[in-house]
Amino acid sequence: MLSVSPREERADALVSRREYVRVEGLGKSFGPHRALDDINFAVRSGEVVAIIGPSGSGKSTLLRCLNQLETQSEGSVTLAGITIDAAKPATRQQLTELRRSAGMVFQSFNLFPHMSVLRNVSLPQERVLGRSRKEADERSRALLSRVGLEAKADQYPNRCSGGQQQRIAIARALALDPKIMLFDEPTSALDPELGLEVLAVMQELAEAGMTMIVVTHEMHFAETVSDRIIIMADGRIIEEGPSAEVMRRPTTERAQRFLNAVKNR
Amino acid sequence: MIDLLDFWRDSVPQLLDGLEVTLRITGVALALGIPLGLALALGVQSPTSSIRYPSLAIVEIGRGAPALILLQFAYFGLPSAGLSLSSFAAASMALAWTTGAYTSEIIRAGLQAVPRGQREAAVAVGMTHIDGLRFVIVPQAMRIAAPALLGFAVLMLQASSLCFAIALPELLSQAYIIGTNTFRYMPILCLAGALYAAICIPASLAVASIERELSRHTA
Ligand SMILES: Nc1ncnc2c1ncn2[C@@H]1O[C@H](COP(=O)(O)OP(=O)(O)O)[C@@H](O)[C@H]1O
Ligand SMILES: [Mg+2]
Repeated sequence: MLSVSPREERADALVSRREYVRVEGLGKSFGPHRALDDINFAVRSGEVVAIIGPSGSGKSTLLRCLNQLETQSEGSVTLAGITIDAAKPATRQQLTELRRSAGMVFQSFNLFPHMSVLRNVSLPQERVLGRSRKEADERSRALLSRVGLEAKADQYPNRCSGGQQQRIAIARALALDPKIMLFDEPTSALDPELGLEVLAVMQELAEAGMTMIVVTHEMHFAETVSDRIIIMADGRIIEEGPSAEVMRRPTTERAQRFLNAVKNR
Repeated sequence: MIDLLDFWRDSVPQLLDGLEVTLRITGVALALGIPLGLALALGVQSPTSSIRYPSLAIVEIGRGAPALILLQFAYFGLPSAGLSLSSFAAASMALAWTTGAYTSEIIRAGLQAVPRGQREAAVAVGMTHIDGLRFVIVPQAMRIAAPALLGFAVLMLQASSLCFAIALPELLSQAYIIGTNTFRYMPILCLAGALYAAICIPASLAVASIERELSRHTA
């Protein structure tokens, strides 16, 4: 059961928090196709932002620009103090630093199928943070138990359900002690019940104060867990504000249409 | 009939010596050639043209030139350039080149078959390009390529009989020597053929079963 978080109080507290993400004038073109156009927003430490919008509106592209899986065509992204500007190429060191600070969870999990669950979570710690095997494994086991999967440590990912794989992917991202977590439709590939166990882990993370940007089709999650909602359409942000307000009283006609469409589904 | 069996029995030790050389040269060609194939597969995908073009040249020559010509080039041609190799060294070099060129194509197909999300996951957790290849992409690609590589290894065992042209005392050469001394070419070639088959047929069966095993353990 999702509990209602005291979002109003949190919103006040958030104003004074540090900014973890700032996106300015962000644009992305694939050839002649404009996937993102003049995107601007900021996310403060501890904030949970849901990005919703129709398919093809640029949500994934935006998330992928944040950790530079995609390089933007215009504008800048600042994440955990590292600024990447379209005008000048990022250095390798900046990219490594940026990706360490941002944990990414994909729709298709993308666990490494040839490694045990434990290795999946430990390897990046060893290679990226330079932790010893022992340290890394300890941390991995702690995180696996946090997502309820300690017993799966020595299994291979293909022996786990989709929901379990996604929770392992979350543990793998958390293992690098990210400042912010990026989720790209983490439950879209899952049956509803399996999606719920992933959402429960995400809610627990949000309540523990993790800064999160979540691209999602789960309206209930967006409304109850996130502090703020961004609605995108055709590569632009068309609506943005506190979750309850955006859900109940969207100001633009396009946002109203989208929300009606998803609510009546 | 008794006479034939006696002849075969007397010839077996010499043929087994030849078989040992055959297995050694095949082993060396694969041990050098497959890592070369991996390097070339990565090389032809490199965005750096000073790596890509030489890799492409090595692959195209290795696949374009018949193995027999590479063998003769290494054994007869290199001495005129001041590099004299024993027949074993020359054969190792030539067959490793052929192996590298052909397996680079097999491995390249394996690399391309690794889902794109794997690359992205490695990048997203902050691994370097090299680490991503080493721990994530190459191990999966090699697993995908393994059946075809093993199949190629069986072909290479047979192709090593070409070394008879540069007087490497492998299985076919030994059979040929016995034939020249006794003028009983047909029976000795049959026996040599049987020895090749005794290795290749079980090896092919093993490849098929490994293939089934591996297909069970991928994503
Ligand atoms: N690598 C790419 N090459 C070309 N077009 C792309 C690429 N990635 C995304 N697009 C296009 O950009 C638009 C936005 O895509 P995406 O960010 O995936 O949308 P969403 O995640 O909101 O469904 C789509 O029209 C899509 O076809
Ligand atoms: Mg998407």
